[in-house]
Amino acid sequence: MSLMGRLLHREDLHSLAAPYALDALEPGERRRFEKHLKDCGRCAEEVRALTEDAVRLAWSTAAPPPVAMRDRVLAAVRATPQEPAPGRERVPNLPPHVWGVQPPPQRRRPRPLFVPFATATAAAALVVASLFAVQADRTRNQLDAERAQSREIAHVLAAPDARAVGAEDAQGRSIGAVASASEGQVVVTLSGYGALPKGRVHQLWLMRPRAQPRSLGLFEADTPLVATGLVKSATSLAVTVEPAGGSAQPTSQPVVQLALKSVGFGE
Amino acid sequence: MQADQLLVLVAGGDQRAFEDLYGLVSGPVFGLVRRVVRDPAQSEEVAQEVLLELWRSAPKFDPGRGSALSWILTLAHRRAVDRVRSARAAGEREQREALRAGEPAFDQVAETVEAGLEREWVRRCLDRLTALQRQSVTLAYYDGYTYREVAERLKLPLGTVKTRMRDGLSRLRDCLGGVA
Repeated sequence: MSLMGRLLHREDLHSLAAPYALDALEPGERRRFEKHLKDCGRCAEEVRALTEDAVRLAWSTAAPPPVAMRDRVLAAVRATPQEPAPGRERVPNLPPHVWGVQPPPQRRRPRPLFVPFATATAAAALVVASLFAVQADRTRNQLDAERAQSREIAHVLAAPDARAVGAEDAQGRSIGAVASASEGQVVVTLSGYGALPKGRVHQLWLMRPRAQPRSLGLFEADTPLVATGLVKSATSLAVTVEPAGGSAQPTSQPVVQLALKSVGFGE
Repeated sequence: MQADQLLVLVAGGDQRAFEDLYGLVSGPVFGLVRRVVRDPAQSEEVAQEVLLELWRSAPKFDPGRGSALSWILTLAHRRAVDRVRSARAAGEREQREALRAGEPAFDQVAETVEAGLEREWVRRCLDRLTALQRQSVTLAYYDGYTYREVAERLKLPLGTVKTRMRDGLSRLRDCLGGVA
């Protein structure tokens, strides 16, 4: 590009400062402008000023959020690790309690198709995402049921010993759980399993040594399952496909099994 | 405590500080998202995501680059605009219906006292802009249109819209004063 062309190009980019401050650029332009910002002190200064102006427009729109939002956000915060500051190593004691116990890296896969998540982050993210799932069209009863369930999930996440664990298979299907041994509760989310044929359901089982599997309940679509009454001796969770209404004992091989040792069980 | 001080504590993993910060900023965040997204359920979802992102990325906040409130509201605005654009892309017609359904609910949302005063100021100052400056700024900021879309809607050349946006913002600054 000629010098003139480059200057024109710069000038052109520079004129995007106001649209940028108003978030009025398309994604590609936004990226190009942000790249330009890095080595244009004048633009950075101008963008800072224009952004402060734009924020004045924001301040005047303040409105009280729904009351239930606070509990959901605070519960999610308890279960969500922070990102490290740029240019700094991750501080080991920074993440909340949920990340206190990490499952040791496993050399052998517990099941051929399933590997543990690299961090428990993804497992908690699944559960946290379910807290935030807001459907546009809901009846009063659905709304009440959702709120009651959000409260239950928030309760488990808020337990001081709440820990997250999860696993994902090669097809991207995953199971996430946040469990509290002191509360004897676990929130389990399945993701990527798709809809089952009519008349079939996913059933969650608690596995204990030298004992029959105990049903913890049936999954309804993507809704997380909150199970109570978990005993400390529990070693793993298993999910099987069962006829509608569920079975007294599993009638098929588990589609996924999740060890609970890393989250304070299995003693 | 001010948002700037709280955000520093939050960046260190302080959950109590986050609760205080939530008290300060959840109203502005929710109100702004709601103004842009309109649909009540989607607004709630986006506002929650923004507040969780605020917790997650607090360690990345650089006080040298602006105030905490400005950073937080910029984040909220960006997410709201992303949502409203993908909703528009998903279906103009559906979006129009959502807008219609969302509008009365929006009017019923009680505004906070400070927001009421601030709103009066902003309205007064917006009135001092030329019509084209005002439309360029508000179509972009409150309705989430790109400057290209604004130019199309106002039937103006792109360069004119960019200039109107810049002049509009600086006139707002003169009228509102520099301090947020």
